[in-house]
Amino acid sequence: MQYVYSLLVLIGIYVTLSASFNLIIGNGGLISIAHPIFFALGAYTAALLGIHFNVPVLVSIVAGMLVALGSSFALSLPSLRISGDYLLIISIGFQLGFLQVIKNIDFTGGAGGLGNIPSVLSGETRDIVFASGSLLMALGVVLLIRWIVRSPYGRAITAMRDDELAFVTLGRNAMKIKLVIFALGSGFAGLAGGVYAYYFLYLSPDQFEILQSATILTMVVVGGMGSTLGPVVGGVLLLALPQAITFLQLPPNVMGPLQGVIYTLLVLIFLFVRPQGLISAARRQT
Amino acid sequence: MIDFTMVAQIFWTGTATSSYYVLFTIAFALVLKVVGLWNFAQAGFMGIAFYAMFFAFNVLHIPVWAGLAFGFAFTIFFTGLVEVLCLRTLRKRRSSSLTFFIFTLILSEFIAYLLMLFFGTEPVTLFPSILSPVRIVADIAVSDWDLVALSSTGALSLALWVFLRFHREGQFLTAVADNGPLAELYGISAKRAYLVAMTIASVFVCAGMYLFGTRAGVIPTTPLELMLFAVIATLLGGIGRIFSAALAAIVIGLVQSFSILVIASAWQNLVLYGFLFFTILVFPRGFRLPGLRRVRGADLAPKPTAESA
Repeated sequence: MQYVYSLLVLIGIYVTLSASFNLIIGNGGLISIAHPIFFALGAYTAALLGIHFNVPVLVSIVAGMLVALGSSFALSLPSLRISGDYLLIISIGFQLGFLQVIKNIDFTGGAGGLGNIPSVLSGETRDIVFASGSLLMALGVVLLIRWIVRSPYGRAITAMRDDELAFVTLGRNAMKIKLVIFALGSGFAGLAGGVYAYYFLYLSPDQFEILQSATILTMVVVGGMGSTLGPVVGGVLLLALPQAITFLQLPPNVMGPLQGVIYTLLVLIFLFVRPQGLISAARRQT
Repeated sequence: MIDFTMVAQIFWTGTATSSYYVLFTIAFALVLKVVGLWNFAQAGFMGIAFYAMFFAFNVLHIPVWAGLAFGFAFTIFFTGLVEVLCLRTLRKRRSSSLTFFIFTLILSEFIAYLLMLFFGTEPVTLFPSILSPVRIVADIAVSDWDLVALSSTGALSLALWVFLRFHREGQFLTAVADNGPLAELYGISAKRAYLVAMTIASVFVCAGMYLFGTRAGVIPTTPLELMLFAVIATLLGGIGRIFSAALAAIVIGLVQSFSILVIASAWQNLVLYGFLFFTILVFPRGFRLPGLRRVRGADLAPKPTAESA
């Protein structure tokens, strides 16, 4: 039963991640791959606050979200000031650079990972609380994003994404919208990171490498970029899929790459066969 | 204690080490200039080039020249396949830059995972030993590898310059880079130019991976970090200026080498990411020396003849 609860926690976390990434890349048209690093920032902040300062869990998780949200400006401000294209390039450097820092300082546990995260609750109650909390978080984030996208502000986001020049000509501030979208998306990733840290009680820099970028991007592309429901479907589907492979009982050194191959191959297939994803954004809007 | 010999040694080794960075940068900058594509798939091509040569040398046990030929042929074939089957399809569909970005990046990752499945995640080199004979010249250790790396990089760069400057096909590349639709009006095939650019890039990628693989261990994700170097150098050199980007690669390589004097080697890669932020903040359009006028592509483009007009 614990396996099912773990899966539910992961579904909640990954739906939050894919929905927030979709807000950035699908709705905002901002190309970045550094989403996992904000996930990491949230996770490490929450964990370190719990380990070293005994900060209550909920406060730590919210602090993790705020750190991720604040850090997003370090990435978006210099790159978006010039051109959206630079965001992608700087995001690769930001992710690899930040992971390098995490791997090289003792405070974060270094490359060996960070353990000793205080556990809250125990037994089946813990699993039930985390599973329901994680799913509620995902539901809250998806509904909030849906509300934003359908509001007048959301229409402004779409207008900016579709024709930035016309949008700016009308006197609107595109830069401000981009910063807000990026900060919001990153903040939600940080929130998911906090939940992840307190449920799994162990963090390793390897969990936030490029594989995570590919995983989250796959969920968005396969589900349907730009649609609210798409990343939810993509997240659930792509978390369920590897469970089928686990029954093959392959060694870990084969499992990891095989999952990666499946994820990336799915994206490539969808790009050519069904670029709009499983749930088309246009269809949803009609 | 820093003395002149130490500085000279770091300078020499740093210059030699930057040779493969130069090759990767030229490949990246050329595709960006001609095809107009941030080709993140280059990391995948780099992985294919390395492991094709690794397979040739360590599994097939064929001579070096044959292994090199195998690596070059395999990489060129694969790159051509991607250009013809995938990139052309995306262009035909008028796909957004976001789609191209996702495709190139995910293709790179797909290749990296495939290579992990076949070759594992342990670092490997092209040959069992990466030791190279060393001679002392004016108190500086000069290895055979250094000489091979510098001479081959110099020769390839010169060949590309001559090709772009004097060969008709090379001038077509410049014309397409400057104004594709106009070049097509004059009868130049943009499709062909893209394929030629990708082919040349794969030659540079393969040569670079040979040099890297005979010097250091490679895992399937190594090319991504190497490619980031090329991206930074391309940005610093200025988009569209291939040889300025190559020069920028040498500068960054030297800065990274000299950083060993002030920071621990574990943090050396951070210099690269620092460069990335610095470049984007201070030189987003690339670094230009005042008073230097870039030779405009239009000057190099073939003049219309009576037939083509």
